Amino acid sequence: MKVGDHEYALDGNGFLQEPQSWNEDVAREIARDEGIADMTGPHWAVVKFIREYWLEHDLAPPVRLLCKESGVGVRDMYRLFRSGPAKGACRVAGLPKPDGCV
Amino acid sequence: MASDAEARARALSSALAALDAEAGRQAAIHMSACVRCGLCGQSCHIYRSEPTPANLPASKVEAVASFHRRRHTFLGRHAPRLVGARDLGPRELESLVETVFGRCTGCGRCSLHCSIGLDVSAIIRAARRVLTKAGLTPDGLRRTVRTQIETGNQMAVTPEELRETAAWISDELAGETGHEGARVPVDEAGSRVLYLVNPREIKFFPLSLQAAAGVFYAAGESWTLSTRTCDVTNYGFYAVDDSAAAELTRRVLEEADRLGASEVVLSECGHGFRSFRWEGPGWLGERPRIPFRSVLERMDAWLAEDRIPIDPARNAAVTTLHDPCNLVRWGGISEPQRNVLRKICARFVEMTPNRADNFCCGGGGGMLSMEEFGERRVRSGSIKAEQIRATGARVVACPCHNCADQLLEITRVHGLDVEIRAVVEILYDVIDWRRVRGQTLRS
Repeated sequence: MKVGDHEYALDGNGFLQEPQSWNEDVAREIARDEGIADMTGPHWAVVKFIREYWLEHDLAPPVRLLCKESGVGVRDMYRLFRSGPAKGACRVAGLPKPDGCV
Repeated sequence: MASDAEARARALSSALAALDAEAGRQAAIHMSACVRCGLCGQSCHIYRSEPTPANLPASKVEAVASFHRRRHTFLGRHAPRLVGARDLGPRELESLVETVFGRCTGCGRCSLHCSIGLDVSAIIRAARRVLTKAGLTPDGLRRTVRTQIETGNQMAVTPEELRETAAWISDELAGETGHEGARVPVDEAGSRVLYLVNPREIKFFPLSLQAAAGVFYAAGESWTLSTRTCDVTNYGFYAVDDSAAAELTRRVLEEADRLGASEVVLSECGHGFRSFRWEGPGWLGERPRIPFRSVLERMDAWLAEDRIPIDPARNAAVTTLHDPCNLVRWGGISEPQRNVLRKICARFVEMTPNRADNFCCGGGGGMLSMEEFGERRVRSGSIKAEQIRATGARVVACPCHNCADQLLEITRVHGLDVEIRAVVEILYDVIDWRRVRGQTLRS
């Protein structure tokens, strides 16, 4: 995936190979691939909370906390990110893919 | 380097011992019966989407059988080249991992079309068992089995997180339905039903848990989640780690006993259903004391008994149905979900082929947890995506959370504008809450 002059490697599931290399331009590019043409305020609120939580806990946050901290309602979460919080929002936030059935 | 070489040598000797342990009557028949007619090719979603010889089910069988032949047949031992028998060495082990974990989801469709009815996935599973015993299970799969054994569920959801999510979803449910009594009970002894969910319903997709709670309430069912065993999945099944698979099954039965439940109801899950209902007795060596039922069977029975007041006019979207392989072809559950959908969807259309002849979505066999095969997984989903496109449906009912994630991805990649929903979510949306009596009838 090319963003500006930099090439960013994605893994077999489309997640950023080096989560540390994430930045907002990378987020916008992955979001476009998710069908999100324009990252709005609520999109960023979700993505930034996921990012912060992951940096601190090395885990994706549960959707309960995500809704609470971002102020996005649970049904709206799936309108913002069609693939849901795991494969949609976590991918935009540059996390490695969560294990298991996602 | 030395320790690396030692580890490889140990893996190889474990693999050989495990391969020999597989060599019973059944393996001898299965591994020598293929007549190489090639009919299996067109039955396989992986071969059809990437028609290279290595993806032909017959080739996958041969890849396993050639090692068996070398050690367990007269000609294989004395004239291996004549009969295509191969020695299992470190390089072969590596390519065997890709063949049996990365080129087959164990969906079983090839067996249905095989001219002699060969149980291809039994051979693939035997090889997975060999590789798992040798410690060569792909990382993502091995990590998920370990997480399940160590934390009690595949996403390491803690008891506190489960309780807090249940409380949050209970509030949402009461708010939406106007019924204060509608909630998600946790660890309630004396409940008739112990309900198991896919942990992703707690961690990432709680709307299906909310829907199930609403449906249980409307039907007057007495039920509970458990913080000790909440997980309907069994990654031991995918890795073919029989002792892990048995342990996960045993824990659920012990918890059902402890809570005094008389039935375990399984959330919509293909391999979870197959594991608990059909594989469990084999792993445990005994028949479980209480029944395991899919929530689909329960919903079908409740609607047949008129226990849930519904208003199907609320749902006008053209809806089709995906048949998860482990639930339908392997599990025998094809009609309950159809009975339910015909009652709650004004416009229900089948995709073709369907029921036991369905195509795998591409995400089965633990494929979703193995990043290294992601590209092939998504490509193989093109078969399912085109099936969906041909129906013209806007909603795909998907009674399996694992398949649902694959469908979400492949419909996005293949440019389809459809919603992927659990059957229980579609039912929840048409419940007429004014006519729900709001009491627990059975306890």
